[in-house]
Amino acid sequence: MNTYTAIRSFRFRSIDGPALLAGLIIAVPVVVTLLAGILNGGGEAWSHIRDTLLTGYTTGTLGTLALTALMTLAVAVPAAWLVTMYQFPGRGLFEWLLILPLAAPGYVLAYAYADLMGLMGPFQVAIREATGWTARDYWFPDMRSLPGLAFVLTCALYPYVYLTARAAFVSQSVCALEAARSLGASSARRFWQVALPAARPAIAAGLALTLMEAAADYGAAEYLGVPTLTFGIVRAWQSFGEPAAAARLALVLVVIVIALILTERHTRGRAGSQQSSTRWRNVSRTRLPRWAGLGAVAACALLFLATFVLPMSRLIWLVMESQGQIAPIGRALVNTLILAGSGAALAFVLAMVIALTARQSGLIAGFARLMASTGYAIPGAVLALGALLVMGYLGITLTGAGAIIALAWVYASRFTTSGAEPMVAALGRAPASMGYAAESLGASPLRRAVSVDLPVALSGAMAGALILFVESLKELPATLMLRPFNWDTLSVRANAYATDERLAAAALPSLLITLAGLLPVILLSWRLSHSRPGDTQ
Amino acid sequence: MSAHLIATNVTRRYGPTAVVEGVSLDLEPGDITALLGGSGAGKSTLLRLFAGLEPLDEGEIRLGDQLLSRPGKTVPAEKRRIGLIFQDFALFPHLTAAQNVAFGLKSRGKETARTIAAEWLERLGLTGRADAFPHELSGGEQQRVAIARALAPEPAAILMDEPFSGLDPALRGSVRDTALAAIREAGIPALLVTHDPTEALESADCIAILQGGCLLQQGKAADVYMKPESAAIAAALGPVSRIRAADLPAGLAGQAVPAGAELIVRPEGVVQDEGSPVRAKVTASQLTGPLCRLLLDCQGQALTALVPRITAPKTGAEIGIRLDPALTFIFQSADS
Repeated sequence: MNTYTAIRSFRFRSIDGPALLAGLIIAVPVVVTLLAGILNGGGEAWSHIRDTLLTGYTTGTLGTLALTALMTLAVAVPAAWLVTMYQFPGRGLFEWLLILPLAAPGYVLAYAYADLMGLMGPFQVAIREATGWTARDYWFPDMRSLPGLAFVLTCALYPYVYLTARAAFVSQSVCALEAARSLGASSARRFWQVALPAARPAIAAGLALTLMEAAADYGAAEYLGVPTLTFGIVRAWQSFGEPAAAARLALVLVVIVIALILTERHTRGRAGSQQSSTRWRNVSRTRLPRWAGLGAVAACALLFLATFVLPMSRLIWLVMESQGQIAPIGRALVNTLILAGSGAALAFVLAMVIALTARQSGLIAGFARLMASTGYAIPGAVLALGALLVMGYLGITLTGAGAIIALAWVYASRFTTSGAEPMVAALGRAPASMGYAAESLGASPLRRAVSVDLPVALSGAMAGALILFVESLKELPATLMLRPFNWDTLSVRANAYATDERLAAAALPSLLITLAGLLPVILLSWRLSHSRPGDTQ
Repeated sequence: MSAHLIATNVTRRYGPTAVVEGVSLDLEPGDITALLGGSGAGKSTLLRLFAGLEPLDEGEIRLGDQLLSRPGKTVPAEKRRIGLIFQDFALFPHLTAAQNVAFGLKSRGKETARTIAAEWLERLGLTGRADAFPHELSGGEQQRVAIARALAPEPAAILMDEPFSGLDPALRGSVRDTALAAIREAGIPALLVTHDPTEALESADCIAILQGGCLLQQGKAADVYMKPESAAIAAALGPVSRIRAADLPAGLAGQAVPAGAELIVRPEGVVQDEGSPVRAKVTASQLTGPLCRLLLDCQGQALTALVPRITAPKTGAEIGIRLDPALTFIFQSADS
């Protein structure tokens, strides 16, 4: 439906009320932060931050994003091409193993890699033992640097691009590749000039997701000592106690995120990527000759080892080594379940409303959907700031129930869209005529949503709820800013221990977070291996 | 100057089952050969073998005296200079019409490539559409771009996989005429894979019929239509009525039919003739355009006839019929 007919046929329907309410709940924290950033003076702390820190924060964020983008593209796109187009030993296994790094948040990898690559880490110790050098005699990459941060974020986030690129390569028109062959194009030219341009919008979408997550990172940047805007926002609130100054920083960060989204939109351009193909044929994978095959195995194995196995084994080793002296985390576990659970519960209700109203297109539902999608792109620190400001205006102190509600609100604001996705997908698999049939039988939009669409959407509800819970549990900066006094979660504990250089103590909560993170990732890879490439997932 | 594209005893197996078995096919330059068969007959596989997209298990494929495929050796598709046209057009979605056509002209240099592409677009009536992207083109335009793209590099042969069945019927005829004229003009061997006997008869010079991976008959279109070598071939080229000798209405054949044989007659071979002693009842009279299809009951035997609409009898009428011997074929029945 285009805008004009949408406006002409505009009427307020029973379904629009809940949709609008859900959209508002999600959008308020961003809007409040932005308004505060624009309207408030920023206070004294702001002039200090502006004059001494702002440049560093901005270049830190931009530099990290640029380097992460480069490294992610260099790793994820070739990996996706390799597992889609070629046959080599272990290909099917690597196809889903390469998604697993998505389970570990950036800050967990930062702890593991800083320890691995540090002065007392196994690599440097081995070098010194082998050569008899002292630490000053050789150069070794420093994880506590901007490239180090970009490396860690690439490890944690490259699967987003891997996934979208793989999906694009799988569903590409095999005929177009064969046509290119018949026109004399070499395999390199087929990749660069046929497959890659066709996959470009999908790759750009995955990259935008990667960079939004990278911009939202607080824990890794803080631990590796790289000043970024997100780090600055948390710092401005925690150290300066100055929400107005934090809101100003948030404004800069949101501008960067919006620029990212606009760039992604722009790459779609006029050139279509839609395949005209209606006929689908399996990609016939080229069997690699022995040495090339071994090379492919080595490349995939190296990628999986570096991004997942190596850092996780280090954390496991740290836990084993410090057996008996592990700081208790039982209380943090309970807190995590309560906080992430209430966030997921609120987000689940909102996600369900969004998914059901998305099914019935209308002007208001569309607007509500737009509002709902804002939170998805905005870093948790910015949303937490918005919730803080609202609570402040309302005079609600951030203790006990007030803080839990605020935090649940921020979790919901940030993650509802990703939780709604499996439900929207479940609904998308049912024919649109199903809804028309209900309406022709006299069902109101509300009754249709509840008695026809809801049961269908429930098949995606498990996945949606799991995603919401795990994302809430992994979240760090907002939790740090909003949790009730003395309510440390796993992520907050891990962060606190790591900052205190008690890495052995940080390792256990980090591993638990990753373990929880594996659940939705495994679910995702299961869906991946059970969906035919013709499906639109 | 153009060479024949020749397959000799070609076999391709997927696991134990042969998809194409012992096929020999000679494609003459300047002729369009239709490869006709139902789904699963092995048509597309044979095309992919010619194109070099699949290796073969037995036999060989040559272009003139150049060996293209034999077991264990396949000249890759990108080295064959054989053009391909697909049902779904397979245009590159990120390139304009002109850039699509110029894709195969890389070795000619940018300027020349652009000129050649423009010439081809003009030839296929696409002058104003050079800068349009595929999704901005209609189905017919997309297919003409695909044909220009395949012909522009002056391939040694061209292979078409159901190239017109993706188009809506109103467009199909005109796109096909334009395309096939351009291909004939190129004077190269051309293979047209199709499941539609009417399309094969209308557009091809030669017809090859493939069934179950085996080639049944190859020849000039009129020969294969008028002189089918088996009941299966006759049936593959259009609807027929099949009558077993035992069920043959008395006096209908007008010639001796051996016992155990089967009589195959095309609908236009069942002629309305009021002078004929053989009577049939019209059970249905269906208008198909200029012609009328009659379903007849002749002494319990069902027959289909095709007669001009003007003279067509009504349902329920009783008419005299005879068979046109030129369109009636007698074969030893397979089950005898």
